[in-house]
Amino acid sequence: MAEVEPVSTNNKDDMQEEIPGVMTTSTSAISDFLKKTKAQDIINWGRKNSLWFTVNAMGCCGVELLSTGMAHYDTDRFGIIPRNSPRHADVLIISGYVTKKYFPALKRIWDQMPAPKWVIAYGDCAISGGPFYESYSTRQNVDEVFPVDIYVPGCPPRCEALIQAFYELQKKIVAKKDKGTDY
Amino acid sequence: MYDEVGPSEMIVHLGPQHPMLPGPFRLNAKLRGETVVDSEVEMGWIHKGIEKILENKTYLQGITIVDRICYLAALTNEEAYVGCVEKLAGIEVPERAQYIRVIMEELSRIQSHLLGMGEYASFVGFVSMFMYTIKEREDLMSVIDSVTGARITHSFLRFGGVKDDLPEGFKEDVKYVFGNLRKAIDNYEELFSTDSIYKARTVGIGTLTAEVAKDIGVSGPPLRATGVAFDIRKDEPYLVYKDLDFKVCTQTAGDVFARVQVRLDEMRESMYIVEQCLDQIPSGPIFPEGTAYGRRSPVMRIPAGEVFHRVEDPRGEMGFYMVSDGSDKPYRVKIRGPVYPTLQALPPLLKGVPVADIVAIAGSMDTCTSEVDR
Amino acid sequence: MDAKAMIDSLSSQFTGVIYDAQVESDIRILAKVKPESVKDICQYLKEKLSFGHLCCEFGVDYPERNEIEVVYVIGSYEHPVVLTLKAILPRDDPEVESVVPVYWNANWYERETYELFGVKYLDHPDLRPLVLPQDMLGEWPLRKDYKGFPNKTARNLV
Ligand code: SF4
Repeated sequence: MAEVEPVSTNNKDDMQEEIPGVMTTSTSAISDFLKKTKAQDIINWGRKNSLWFTVNAMGCCGVELLSTGMAHYDTDRFGIIPRNSPRHADVLIISGYVTKKYFPALKRIWDQMPAPKWVIAYGDCAISGGPFYESYSTRQNVDEVFPVDIYVPGCPPRCEALIQAFYELQKKIVAKKDKGTDY
Repeated sequence: MYDEVGPSEMIVHLGPQHPMLPGPFRLNAKLRGETVVDSEVEMGWIHKGIEKILENKTYLQGITIVDRICYLAALTNEEAYVGCVEKLAGIEVPERAQYIRVIMEELSRIQSHLLGMGEYASFVGFVSMFMYTIKEREDLMSVIDSVTGARITHSFLRFGGVKDDLPEGFKEDVKYVFGNLRKAIDNYEELFSTDSIYKARTVGIGTLTAEVAKDIGVSGPPLRATGVAFDIRKDEPYLVYKDLDFKVCTQTAGDVFARVQVRLDEMRESMYIVEQCLDQIPSGPIFPEGTAYGRRSPVMRIPAGEVFHRVEDPRGEMGFYMVSDGSDKPYRVKIRGPVYPTLQALPPLLKGVPVADIVAIAGSMDTCTSEVDR
Repeated sequence: MDAKAMIDSLSSQFTGVIYDAQVESDIRILAKVKPESVKDICQYLKEKLSFGHLCCEFGVDYPERNEIEVVYVIGSYEHPVVLTLKAILPRDDPEVESVVPVYWNANWYERETYELFGVKYLDHPDLRPLVLPQDMLGEWPLRKDYKGFPNKTARNLV
């Protein structure tokens, strides 16, 4: 087959030459522009107040994860709602042991989530392998793959710790320091 | 299963992350229209290799690891593990410590049933029921927390005793929580037995007969729902269960409804046991006196030998087989979890049921994947 | 029938196949069997002595003796006696008959023992890895001489 010349699209210089006198722009240019303005602050305010998280209870920490979203701790107060489908969620909570077998599935869940999205490593297992760090089936250093924003140490961390993690994540989003969006 | 997929059949994968699964496992169901014709369970998504880790930890360190086998029954797992070591080393547990253990284990049985039932109720469509049960569970958790200092992974039992004595005012706290819980359980029962939609979804669904259940090796509430009164607490009493008055709750129908009913009854029975214990508990030491094994000795050598010790988990028969070679680490530990056969029973049970019943049946089994994978 | 009578009945039925039979206590008995007759013995146990409940089945590795023991812990729904059966296999080529036709729930135990110890079960309906990913087959992680434990990356971490 003959080689196909790559067609350049959205190249600012080309476009400006094509239509003289008209300034064209692209979506990424708009968002690049917005990031420097107050508008981004408003967007971030909205984002930080609707952090929906996926319920994938993977281990002991998963039980605490369930309780956090339920009646007693009631994260709904902060706009933090458990969602069953990753496609509805903004926050992936790695709540337990990541094994070699589960890792591809977790990656897939992460890929299914629409951006902007954040990761919280909840519990020692997600951070470093926890009590199972030496096991033959544990996958260590998941934070090399997932852009983890908040680490919550503990085995398991209490529900209050998860709420605080969300609070810290909100602060990070407001300060534009989170890894979920590139500023 | 994959070889002969007919023209009007398809294979649906549920899991490993699926809202209607109580943990990461995968159920591959072959459907013809709306009916499941064949299914298969895939395991191992959270296999942690606990058996290998235990071989490389000293006996005392092992207690923290066995906690994490099943996150809802940490105390009964510890009981099975600690019981093995006590049998091998011939340690006598003082009576007060035995009572404390029974109290804590029964409390944790109640909280496990509450969570399992709530989860199951949300599977069949009662999401608000989950909220109710969690609310009661939180009260119970704070009672457990006040003794063990942790909510899920307690590390509370020690060889020959328990870590701490009961705190001041424990009895009153328990009385107060049980008062609310009794009312709540009555409410759940009323809700379950009067709601016609719920009944239509559960009565006569997923029926397991006693013969099949025995053949498959099921234990715990799914077995007792078929009418077999098999309970390790009665058949092979450990701790002080032989001095306590309780009955084994059974039903005869063997369907989803009966399994949930057994759990409701068991919670009442557990409350009764705890109340008896609180009345009868003698004062005294919580650690044996004059043994070679100190209170928190990090290195202890256990005489060589082999032992199988089993206890009644919230989900059935939990057993540990321990081989000791006389060193400070176990040579081999085999964990026999109750859910292992129960989960295996899913494919035959699901044969011929509509898709919508899969979650009702799987949920009523109250499976704990972490324990199957270990 | 108490524990003593059970073990007597078993050893008189299978002379030469059952050896080292012991009564540990009223509810625990122990015996060793020749690997080739495990299935027949299980059949007998289930039908005649009402040992209908396979508690578990697993392997134990003894590298010095060059042996792998396959241990069957068999309980019952009718009586509290638990029987421990041991079949001793050579470590280089461990093969034993599957007991799935007798105890249905042995299926997963055998699959697990296969992938963790490398014990081959003859006539097993579906001998595939259960808990490990496919590419870890052949490492036999629960054998004592397994090299991948503790995990390499972990050692760098600590
Ligand atoms: S961090 Fe601890 S509690 Fe959480 S999943 Fe890991 S072992 Fe379980």
